[in-house]
Amino acid sequence: MSERMTTDARLLPIFAAIVIAFGFIAHGNANLVQAATFAAIDAVAAIGLSILLGNVASISIGQAGFFGIGAYAFAYLETAVTWPAALPVWATFVIATVAGTALATAFGLVLGLIALRFRGHYLAMATLAFGLVVVGVVRITPALGGAGGISNVAFAQFGSLSISGVAAYWYAWAMVALVASLTYNLLRGRTGRAFEAVRNDELAAEAVGVPTRRVKIAAFAYAGALAGFAGTFYAAFLGLIEPNAVGVDFSIDLLLMVVVGGAGGVSGAILGAVIIGITNVYGHDLENWRPIIYGAAVVVIAIRFPRGLVGTFARSRRRVTPVVEAVPEVAVRDASPVAPPATPSPRERVAWLSVDSVAKRFGGIVAVNDVSFALESGTLTSLIGPNGAGKTTLFNTICGVTRPSAGRVTIAGRDVTGWQAHRIAALGVGRSFQNARLFADMTVLENVLAGAYLRETATFASDLLALPLSRRSGRIAADRARSVLSSLDLERIANVRARDLAFGDRRRVELARSVAAEPGLLLLDEPAAGLNASERARLSDDLLRLRSDGLTLLLVEHDMRLVMAISDRVMVLEFGAMIADGRPAAVRDDPRVVAAYLGTG
Amino acid sequence: MLQLVVAGLTVGSGYALVALGIHIILRATRVINFAQGEFVVLGGLLAYSVTNVLHANVWLGLVVATAGGFAIGLVYERFVLRPAARGGELAVTIVSIGCVYVLLYGHSLVWGSLPLPLPYFSGGEADVVWRAGGVQIAAQQLWVLGFLGLALGALAFFFEGTTYGKAIRASANSPVGAALVGIDVDRARSVSVAIAIALAAFGGVIVGPITLVGGAAGVGIAIKGFVGAVIGGLDSPVGCAVGGLLVGVVEKLLEGRLGYGASDPIVYGLLIVALLVRPQGLFGSRRAIRD
Repeated sequence: MSERMTTDARLLPIFAAIVIAFGFIAHGNANLVQAATFAAIDAVAAIGLSILLGNVASISIGQAGFFGIGAYAFAYLETAVTWPAALPVWATFVIATVAGTALATAFGLVLGLIALRFRGHYLAMATLAFGLVVVGVVRITPALGGAGGISNVAFAQFGSLSISGVAAYWYAWAMVALVASLTYNLLRGRTGRAFEAVRNDELAAEAVGVPTRRVKIAAFAYAGALAGFAGTFYAAFLGLIEPNAVGVDFSIDLLLMVVVGGAGGVSGAILGAVIIGITNVYGHDLENWRPIIYGAAVVVIAIRFPRGLVGTFARSRRRVTPVVEAVPEVAVRDASPVAPPATPSPRERVAWLSVDSVAKRFGGIVAVNDVSFALESGTLTSLIGPNGAGKTTLFNTICGVTRPSAGRVTIAGRDVTGWQAHRIAALGVGRSFQNARLFADMTVLENVLAGAYLRETATFASDLLALPLSRRSGRIAADRARSVLSSLDLERIANVRARDLAFGDRRRVELARSVAAEPGLLLLDEPAAGLNASERARLSDDLLRLRSDGLTLLLVEHDMRLVMAISDRVMVLEFGAMIADGRPAAVRDDPRVVAAYLGTG
Repeated sequence: MLQLVVAGLTVGSGYALVALGIHIILRATRVINFAQGEFVVLGGLLAYSVTNVLHANVWLGLVVATAGGFAIGLVYERFVLRPAARGGELAVTIVSIGCVYVLLYGHSLVWGSLPLPLPYFSGGEADVVWRAGGVQIAAQQLWVLGFLGLALGALAFFFEGTTYGKAIRASANSPVGAALVGIDVDRARSVSVAIAIALAAFGGVIVGPITLVGGAAGVGIAIKGFVGAVIGGLDSPVGCAVGGLLVGVVEKLLEGRLGYGASDPIVYGLLIVALLVRPQGLFGSRRAIRD
C-alpha cells in the first residue's frame, strides 16, 4: 500500500465522523449547511482532478467544463424534456443524473484521447481551451439559456422528501462517501498500480505491459465523470445553472483545492474542498482579495509544499517511524496460497524471437543496418559491440519502443513489427534499461507488484467495485512479487523507496520487476554496468539460473569476462551491422571483432 | 471584409507580441507563462496611470510601461518562476496559473474592473482616420503595425546581432554548455523573462487605445497569444508573430460573421485542432514538441 493510500485509509474514517457530527450539530444553521453542501459537491469534482494530477501526473484546467456538461445536461433534461406522467419525479432525477454523468464521461474520453498527444504546459493549455469552449458554447446557445443559463430546475423529490437543506447535505456527503470509496478501491487495485507506474515512468510502464495510453484515457474519463456527477447535483441543488458557474475560475478553484489539500488519492481533495468552502463562507467580506489570496496560496503552496497539506502531514509523520520494515507487508497480510493463473505462462508460448533484415535510420544516420538473427528458447545470447554500434536501438525496435525503418520482428510466431511496447510485453517479453528505469517514488515491493501487471486479471470496473476478481488478482500479484523478491534475495529492502536505493540494488530490482511478469524472453540492456565485482558475480548466477528455468535471454553487455563466461552465443554489432555471430570462443578470436575493438594496426 | 482584416491585424499585433513573449520565456526557461496576458493588461494600466493620473503624454506612458514590464519581469523570474521550476513542469504550470489569479484581481483592486481608455498616439481623444477605397484605416492601427515591426526588428537584432543576445540563446539551448563557457545562465534567464514581460506591457500600450485596457481581458489575450504561437510554431519567432496576427484576423472575421462572443469558443477550439493537426506549427520544426 502506497504512502498516500495509507494516509487515505487513516484520514477517511476521521472525515466521515466529522461529517456526520457536523450534520447533527449544524443542522439548524442554514448558511453553514449550504456551504458544507457546496463543499461536498466541489470535493467530488476535486477527487477526479486529484487522481489526474497526483496519480497520473496529468494536469487539467478544464474540469469546470465537465462540471458544466453534467450540470447543463441535468438542467436541460429536467426542464426542457416532457417526461411521461407515469414516471415518478425521483426517477427523472436518477435518469438525468446518470445521463449528465455519462455525457461528461464521454467528453472525458475524448479529451483523454486528445490529451495523449501532449504533456505539461501543452496539456494545461489544451484543457484550458476545452473549458473555455464549453463555457463559450453554453453562453451562446439559446436552448441552454444563453448568458442567463437555465433556471427553475425542480428540486429532486424522493416521495415527500425534497433534496434541499439538511437533506441535501446528507445526500451530497453520501455522494462524496460513495465516490471516495470507489476511488479508494480503484487506487488500491491493479488500476491504481498502473496509474502509479505511468506517473513515475511511462516507458518503463509500457515495458512491464501497462497500456499507458489507455490508462491515461481512463483517468481523464474518470475525472470527467466525477466532475460531471458533481455538476448534476449542483444544478439539482441550486435549481439553476449559469455559464459563470462553470467558467475558468471554477477550474482554477478546483486546482487550488487539490493543490492545497494535496494531489493524489482522496483525502487531500476532500480536505482542500472543505478548506476552500470555509474560506468562501468567512471570506465574503474579502471580495476582490479572495481570488488574490487564492492565487497567492496556489503559488506559495505549489512552491513550498508541493505535496499539499495531507502529503506534508503524512511526510512529517513518516519521519518518526522507521522507513524500512523488515518484512514486506504482503507476506504477513495474506498467506493463503494462490491458484496458478488460468492462462498458460507465456514462457511456453514464446518459442523464439526472430529478427529479419531489420534496419533503423534516424535521418541520414543508419543506426541498425539489415540485421537478422533468431534466438532459440532457453538460450543466453549476448549482443556486444563498440559504443554507438546500434545495440540499444536494435533492442528498442524489438521491444516496440521504436519502429524499425525496414525489416520484420517476429515473436512467438507473430509478426510484431510496429506493435506498441506494452503489447509486445504482453507476449512475454521483459526488458531492463541501460540506466535502470525504476518507478522512483514506489517502493521495491510496489515496483515488483507493478511488474506483475501482466499476470493480473483485474479490470477497471472490478477494481472500482472491489469485486472478488480484483482481490484474487491482487493476491496473484502479491504472491508473484513475494516469490520473485525471495528468489533474488531482495526481501530485506522490500519497503525501501526505489529512489533511495544504491545503484547495484536498483539493477537487481529492475531485474526482479521484469521477471515478475514471468516473461519467456528477457532483454537486458547492460545489466552489469556500474556493478562491483561481487554484484557481477551474483548477476551471472542469477542469469544462469533464469536460463536454467527456461527463459530465453538476450543481453547487451560490455563486460567481456561476463559475456564470455555465461553466453551460449555472442553476436557482434559494428556500425549497425552484424559482423560476427557464434560461440563465445570463436567470436573472441574472430579477426573482424578484434579489429572492431582494437582497431586495425 | 478588408475592414475586418485590418481590425484583425491590429488586435493580432497584440497577440503576436504575447506569442513572442511566450516563445522567449519558453526558450529560456522551458516554461509556458500563463500569466503573459495579465502583463499586457498591466502595461496598458500603467500607461493609463501615467496619462490620466499624472497627465503626462502617452509616449511617456509607453516608456514607463515597457521599462516597468522589464523590471517586473526580473522580479517575476527571480521570485516566482525560478523557485517554482524546482518542482518540475507541473509545479511551474500551476504556479503561473496562480499568478494569473493574483494579477487579474490585483489589477481590478487597483484600477477597478472596468476597461479604461488610453489616448491615441496621434490624436488624443479622437483618432485620425483615412479612407482608402471602402476601407477605413485609423492612425493608431498604423502605429500598432509599425511598432510591431519595430519590436520584431529590435528583437531580431538583439538575439542575432549582439553578443549578449547570442549568449542568451546559447543558455537556452544548453544551460550547462553555456555555463561552462562562462555565461551567467541565471542572469540570461531573468533577462529573457524580463524582455518577454516588457514586450507584453509594450503591446498593452500600443493596442490599448483601440481595445481599451484593464478588465478581465488578460486570460483571453494569453490564450489567443498561445493559439497564435502554436499555429505559427512555438519554437519559431517568425511563426509566433505570424500566428498571432492570423489569430487576430480569424477572430475579427468570425466576429463579423457570427457576432460578438461567438468567435471566442471557435478560436479556443482552434487551439486544440492546431495542436492535434500540426503541433509543430506552420514555421516550427517537428523536434521542438518532443521535449
